[in-house]
Amino acid sequence: MTPLRITVNGREHVLPAPPETTLLALLREHLGLTGAKLGCDVGDCGACTVLVDGLAVNACLMLAAQADGRSVLTIEGLATPDALHPIQQAFERHAALQCGFCGPGVILSAKALLDANPAPTAAEIREALAGNLCRCTGYAKMITAVHAAAQALHGATDERSPRATPVPRLPLPGGGTGGPR
Amino acid sequence: MSDRRPVTEQEALRESLRGLETARLPATVPPAQFPIETLVPEVRQQTPAVGQRATRPDARLHGLGQTKYIDDLALPGMLHARIKRAGIAAARIARIDTRAAEAMPGVMAVLTGREIPANSFGPSLQDQPVLADERVRHAGDGVAAVAAVTEEIAAQAVERIVVEYEPLPAVFDPFEAMREDAPRVHPPAGNVYAHKIIRKGDVERALAEADRVFEGRWTTQMVEHVPIEPHAAIAAWDANGRLTVYSTLGRITLGRADIARTLALPVNRVQVVGTIVGGNFGGKNEISQEPVLALLAKKAGRPVKGVFTRGEEFYASTTRHPFFMDYSTGVGRDGRIRARKVRLVLDGGAYCSWSETTLGKACILATGPYKIEHVQVEAFAVYTNKTVAGAMRGFGAPQVCFAYESQMDEIAAALAIDPLEIRLANAFDEGAASPTGQTLESVVVKASLEQAAARFGWREPRS
Repeated sequence: MTPLRITVNGREHVLPAPPETTLLALLREHLGLTGAKLGCDVGDCGACTVLVDGLAVNACLMLAAQADGRSVLTIEGLATPDALHPIQQAFERHAALQCGFCGPGVILSAKALLDANPAPTAAEIREALAGNLCRCTGYAKMITAVHAAAQALHGATDERSPRATPVPRLPLPGGGTGGPR
Repeated sequence: MSDRRPVTEQEALRESLRGLETARLPATVPPAQFPIETLVPEVRQQTPAVGQRATRPDARLHGLGQTKYIDDLALPGMLHARIKRAGIAAARIARIDTRAAEAMPGVMAVLTGREIPANSFGPSLQDQPVLADERVRHAGDGVAAVAAVTEEIAAQAVERIVVEYEPLPAVFDPFEAMREDAPRVHPPAGNVYAHKIIRKGDVERALAEADRVFEGRWTTQMVEHVPIEPHAAIAAWDANGRLTVYSTLGRITLGRADIARTLALPVNRVQVVGTIVGGNFGGKNEISQEPVLALLAKKAGRPVKGVFTRGEEFYASTTRHPFFMDYSTGVGRDGRIRARKVRLVLDGGAYCSWSETTLGKACILATGPYKIEHVQVEAFAVYTNKTVAGAMRGFGAPQVCFAYESQMDEIAAALAIDPLEIRLANAFDEGAASPTGQTLESVVVKASLEQAAARFGWREPRS
């Protein structure tokens, strides 16, 4: 078993993991980072969303080995010890988290979007969150929160933005079985 | 961390309040990774609620990913459980062979229904086995369970359990199930397990005398709650033979009594710990796998966790009842409803669950928020060999609302009356009586309709 070398939340880990280990299992069971959730185990619900090299992936569909040499950001790595990330702040303020189970995944999908597109339209936000299911709040408050976060991060959102920047997709070895969205 | 912490609680309180917009109590223990202050509920504090913005006190840890749901917890030495599902709608269980599963390395305990001290539960009728022992009544019935050192081993072991079934005739349609000659889901009892009738006035005469009578059938489908967090629980015994169950249960007191009953334990030997639940919607209102995990934990001598697969969420948890709703409504030329006769058939699936509550609430609400002098509502909950129907948001209220409001629109269209006006003409006033004779107070149906209509411009000219 060749150990994997994965950077998680800015910290490098060298971990021996059985080949069938998913990235989600690696994070939750080997590293104790339980913020990413197992919701459906088939890449439909998005509760397991983490960022791999800045792009949103379903960690339940990605093998840990596919993240070898890459950098992973989980919800636990988003805030600093002193402050919430503006997206977390906006989700709290705009009541976009109810039971909270889908929250970490939604917030990270929003981060991937805002990193690529600082001033997204509502349609672009919807598209970016399309892979994250929520059964409590509905999505309106989340969209409001992402708008507010964009404002806080970059000073402006533009509803009439002519740029429709697509969210870049994560290229994976072997043709993208890691569920990039 | 310790040098940051003020000496006494009062000092901590004072310090935490300094410079804050709203007075909030300090977190007793900040999360290890995040000294960011957590929010806590404002208790015993009178706040003007209406029209105020409120922040959920639990939102901060949700957003930080620090909230611990059941599947985020692990106890030392904990095993993982899987339940074998029948996969057949109706059958007699002839034999269960668990030897191959028991022989697998990593398998620490195997359980069948016959080992359960009191193998039945349910919030009103105790008609559901924890694990089916003699008879399978729907494909999602559990028939055996395994606890193993990993989930993968537990899943493989479940595949190696051999169950011999003698298939029985099954019934899937509630109207067929109501016939005398239909296969019985719980023999010798008939398939109608709950019945209710509400009568007010003389509905037959009023229908006969009405200017127009509108008839229609509306049906709704089975709906799964699909909480993003699947059902999950952990069972652990202490050295004194007391059981602690951590569970996604929404009704922990009821669950505690049910767990104690199935295990034949005094209720004071069972502790149920409810945590933050990742979505309930009525689907986590009764026990499911908890007694199974408790008995596996007892056999293995180690804590046992069970998490439903997404598949089990659909076929082994409860759902919203499919309703079949027949409405006959007698109306005057002026659009006033004189009489309404309703017949409801609820497809309850294999077990009662919360059907009686659903049936009762649906009956009371079936005629809508309208003043109707002559009313008859009759409803039946019926067993079929299908996934269990139970509680889901509204307990039957959304189904009947769909029917009576759809019919209101049909009546309005047929009489060329504005859909808003026909509702205003019939809606409850202050002090109106419900079909069951309850005097209603604080009635704002008309005001709400008017306000909504004004907000979305109902009366403005439509192009």
